[in-house]
Amino acid sequence: MKNFPPQRALWLTAWIAGLFCALVCAVMVVEHFAAATEDPWKSPQLLALKEKLAAEPNNQPLEKEIRRLDLQFRQKFRRRLALDRTGAWLLLGGALALALAAGKAAALGETPPLPQPKSDAGEQFLKQAARARGSVAALAVVVAGSLAVIVLVNTSVLPANMAGGQKPAGENGAEAAAVETAPTLSEFQANWPRFRGWDGGGVAAQTNCGTNVVWSSPIPAPGHSSPVVWDGRVFISGGTAAKREVFCYSATNGALLWQRAVENVPGSPAKAQAVPEDTTYAASTPATDGRRVYAIFGNGDLAAINLDGSVAWTKFLGPMKNVYGYATSLAVWGTNLFVQLDQGDTPAEGSRLISLQGASGRILWERSRPVPASWATPIVAEPAGKTQIITLANPWVIGYAAAGGEELWRAQLLESEVVPSPVFADGLVFLLSPGARLIALRPDGAGDVTTTRVAWTAEGDIPDIVSPISHDGLVFTVTGGGIVKCFGTADGKKFWDKFVDVDVDASPGIVGDRLIIVGKSGLLVMLRAGREFQEIGRCQLPDKFEASPAFAGGYIFLRGATNLYCLGPNGAK
Amino acid sequence: MEPAPQSSAPVSRRQFLRNGARLLTMTGLGVAAGALATRSTAAAWVWQIDPAKCLHCGNCATRCVLEQSAVKCVHAYSVCGYCQLCTGFFAPEPNELTTAAENQLCPTAAIKRSYVEDPYYEYKIDENLCIGCAKCVEGCNRFGNGSLFLQIRHDRCLNCNECAIARACPGEAVRRVPADRPYLLKTTSR
Amino acid sequence: MLRRLKFIGALGALLLLAFLASAEPRFPPPDFVDTNHLIPSPATPAARQLWLQYADTGVFLAALGTAVWLIYQKRSRRGIFWLSLFSLAYFGFYRKGCICPIGSPQNVVYGLFNPEYAVPVTVLIFCFAPIVTALFAGRAFCAGVCPQGALQDFMLIKPVKVPFWLEQALGVVPYVFLGAGLIYAATGTGFVVCRYDPFVPFFRLSGGTFILTAGALFLVAGMFVGRPYCRFLCPYGGLLRLASLAAKWRVRVTPDTCTQCRLCEQSCPFGAMREPAPAAHPGALGAERRRLGWMLALLPVLVAAGAWAGGRFSPAAAQVNPAVALAERYTRQQKTPVQYGLMTPEALSLERAADNPEAVLKAAADLRHRFDLACLLFGGWIGLVIGVKLVALSVRPGRTDYEPDRGACLSCARCFTSCPNERVRLGWMPAPDKPAAS
Repeated sequence: MKNFPPQRALWLTAWIAGLFCALVCAVMVVEHFAAATEDPWKSPQLLALKEKLAAEPNNQPLEKEIRRLDLQFRQKFRRRLALDRTGAWLLLGGALALALAAGKAAALGETPPLPQPKSDAGEQFLKQAARARGSVAALAVVVAGSLAVIVLVNTSVLPANMAGGQKPAGENGAEAAAVETAPTLSEFQANWPRFRGWDGGGVAAQTNCGTNVVWSSPIPAPGHSSPVVWDGRVFISGGTAAKREVFCYSATNGALLWQRAVENVPGSPAKAQAVPEDTTYAASTPATDGRRVYAIFGNGDLAAINLDGSVAWTKFLGPMKNVYGYATSLAVWGTNLFVQLDQGDTPAEGSRLISLQGASGRILWERSRPVPASWATPIVAEPAGKTQIITLANPWVIGYAAAGGEELWRAQLLESEVVPSPVFADGLVFLLSPGARLIALRPDGAGDVTTTRVAWTAEGDIPDIVSPISHDGLVFTVTGGGIVKCFGTADGKKFWDKFVDVDVDASPGIVGDRLIIVGKSGLLVMLRAGREFQEIGRCQLPDKFEASPAFAGGYIFLRGATNLYCLGPNGAK
Repeated sequence: MEPAPQSSAPVSRRQFLRNGARLLTMTGLGVAAGALATRSTAAAWVWQIDPAKCLHCGNCATRCVLEQSAVKCVHAYSVCGYCQLCTGFFAPEPNELTTAAENQLCPTAAIKRSYVEDPYYEYKIDENLCIGCAKCVEGCNRFGNGSLFLQIRHDRCLNCNECAIARACPGEAVRRVPADRPYLLKTTSR
Repeated sequence: MLRRLKFIGALGALLLLAFLASAEPRFPPPDFVDTNHLIPSPATPAARQLWLQYADTGVFLAALGTAVWLIYQKRSRRGIFWLSLFSLAYFGFYRKGCICPIGSPQNVVYGLFNPEYAVPVTVLIFCFAPIVTALFAGRAFCAGVCPQGALQDFMLIKPVKVPFWLEQALGVVPYVFLGAGLIYAATGTGFVVCRYDPFVPFFRLSGGTFILTAGALFLVAGMFVGRPYCRFLCPYGGLLRLASLAAKWRVRVTPDTCTQCRLCEQSCPFGAMREPAPAAHPGALGAERRRLGWMLALLPVLVAAGAWAGGRFSPAAAQVNPAVALAERYTRQQKTPVQYGLMTPEALSLERAADNPEAVLKAAADLRHRFDLACLLFGGWIGLVIGVKLVALSVRPGRTDYEPDRGACLSCARCFTSCPNERVRLGWMPAPDKPAAS
């Protein structure tokens, strides 16, 4: 009774301290959740405004709004940090007061012990021990049960007994790759291993050939991809939403040697994504290194097929975000494969350049690209002995090191949807800013070379689909309506500029001194690839052509809408 | 006051067992200590980020147990190009090359830009404002010389036995270093 | 355009060039011709000085010694209270609870199995000193030196008795936690005991939402259940409990003889007080011996079953390890690709894995081997703990006095003043054969 008032006061203090702690806690929790979207680097509001500013660069009130918001968020952030700090100290003080007051009050209110008589101590002891044994057993069951649940929930995808040095799943033949020899440069140059030839330049190794149809074979599946040729075999890809295939024809007589469907690619949805009919699923030209044929389709399936027709490996690189349908062709260098996978309508939708090991499909490196979708094919070039991959997309031309993928240089030279591919000749890269200008760029820079490495540009009647071609100190451009221009590579001096009446989508080729233009309606036009304009001849083929020509072994291979054609000298068989 | 004496025969058997267990445990501890003594160090360990392995993912800002992360951006001035268009300072495609909020990459305006001489600018980091989000590091390493990098600052780091950032780092870049050489500074571009 | 290059030979040269090219800066270093501006060096604030670490160790050993002296020589609750408050302030709020003995067995085990980590001498002292103390003087560390224990002790307001059966069952959990902590430390995965310490975030005044909430719940629970973390979760407490069983000296409630007055029965807020074992009924002795026999026979069965279960648990346990988790994510990505956002940590780690998948998978395979053995031992250990617990509950303790259990007693000295003999020693009561002062 004597201690009554102090005990009451202490309990009161304890309750107040407790409530104070709870209040401070609540305030801090609320502040934290409210601030989740207001940290200066997380705020979606600020991000949206900044994106808007990128679209309207001179919007003064928008700039002011961004600055105001940015300052507000930063101040809020600092205030929140300060609040957390003071809150923590307040909580500490409150907890201390609570503990001291409540502890003292409880101590004051303690009743002295009054042990009651125990009659059945012995029985109690045994019962207690038995109950304890039961509960320990129950805990054992609970522990075992929890472990079992954890095991069931966390299924491992790695194999149960992993030997050291396990090969990556689905990629066999990595050892074979180490033993396999890469093709030599002369082998590459003697064949037509990728879109527009071994270096993407479109110039044939042979110097003359005829335009007589030696053979033509039907192609069972539609597509716009160009043929590739290696060692007497012609490879074509074709396909629809239902099925996509790679075909192999004999170059001598056009016999279909084998066809291989690309299906059941792990990760690829059973229903292939829709692709515009005009583009087709097989718009990308395959590539080969003489060991395998690589093909990529508009739904994102990438396949490597051995030369005997068996599948080496497949990979799904999609889904493809491409408004017109993916059409960039593959590039090879040695036994490495490059895929320029540009996606989307804005620069931040996952565009990347991937380098894969041809034998196994293992990704060697991958580089993100700050560009939207593009339809140009990259080329591998060796300016000054440094092997580079040169890629085009709106607005950047970027050169990467072929070995490790490091970005070497970039130039902001392009303005709209890029379809024409670049070529490398006479130490210069010739590329088209579609519809705007022809640019000659020196690829020997580092960093941003937009203003420092452009050798010359030319404007007026610039194509927006057909790629340029260069040979013997000259570079030619062909517009879709048939305006052909010839420039000197050294200084961009225009030699001639003529309207040749042909509608064309395919890129031209050069054989010897002939510039070969393959028209959409099957009209083949040959001009002299020289400083003076001269039309050598025309002939009409019985098909429609979107694909570019391939040249190998003295023949021209053309892929039409229905057939594959082999053109050669008169009387050849 | 001595501890109360032990008594009666059954207890002394337990006492014997107890003594034995104690001796065994002390021996075991001695063996463990001996095994470790050869590999013990007088010095302590502290945590540090290896700039060669850092992937500039931004986890450093959020994973540290401290409210404001102990990780700050550090500038290797000797590697810096002192560019007017610093890709670590300016957001991609800035409106203008000014220090206005819409042009800066740093969300807390921790990088201070000062003019040195034409066309060079110096960029200094205010560590009280830096949160260690690695946006500037990403910009500098991707397009520039790579002179900006993240480091754990030991006037702020609590040196937890298990670093929460090390646990979450996708590049496994955070590791223990001896406390007398606690920084892994960048001296070259890459 | 046509060059005579051998691709394979050129490859080597080009890789070298690419490597060299990558080390050059894109933008050349500036020439400050006009202003002669000096290029500054980055600041490098030093880490905490080494002598301070040794000072901490000195304070630690002094506190341990003081605790033993206060419990056995002075028998002072007040002394222990103030010592624990000092420990809370020094090791808790000043040192932010790190390095602490609770986590140190992980460092020791990590050092034993991973040659690249050398255990600092201070950590060894923090780990072994309390155990050596416990081998002689029981859990003096728990009462007087541990800041986490001091915090809980401080928040204890109205202790509620935890029923014996629940206490025994929950007493297995610290050993499970200890086992898990040691296997994760041995495999180099991380220090889970440190990760899930609920009180250190309070010392740091910051932490994640989950751990702060857990800590708050522990503190609130600790207001009513005495020292919940110490009794039911602390892995180091499990080690100290085992060491205390072999202690040379033990905490005695009475300073001299026990008069069986039972006044100390309810005095322990941590459920450590034990009664003298009642004599066995002669007829029941046989049944008891049989039960003990069964429990002893069950022990190796439990160990074997535990080891088997541990082996099954290994793939799931291994996924906590970052290297194994990366290999799992990479393999999963090969099978069912997921589009991670650009530059997110998941995408970046997958990019890194794709650079050299064989190395990633090999590292994971090696770790999985280590985990297979470690989880086998972990499972066997849990089986052993449960088996020994069952055996211990089938044995009649040969206790004649009211005294605290050697392993469970935290040496907090609260029970001393409930003993009339202690009160006599302190001079609060006259001795029974002396006449009462009027």
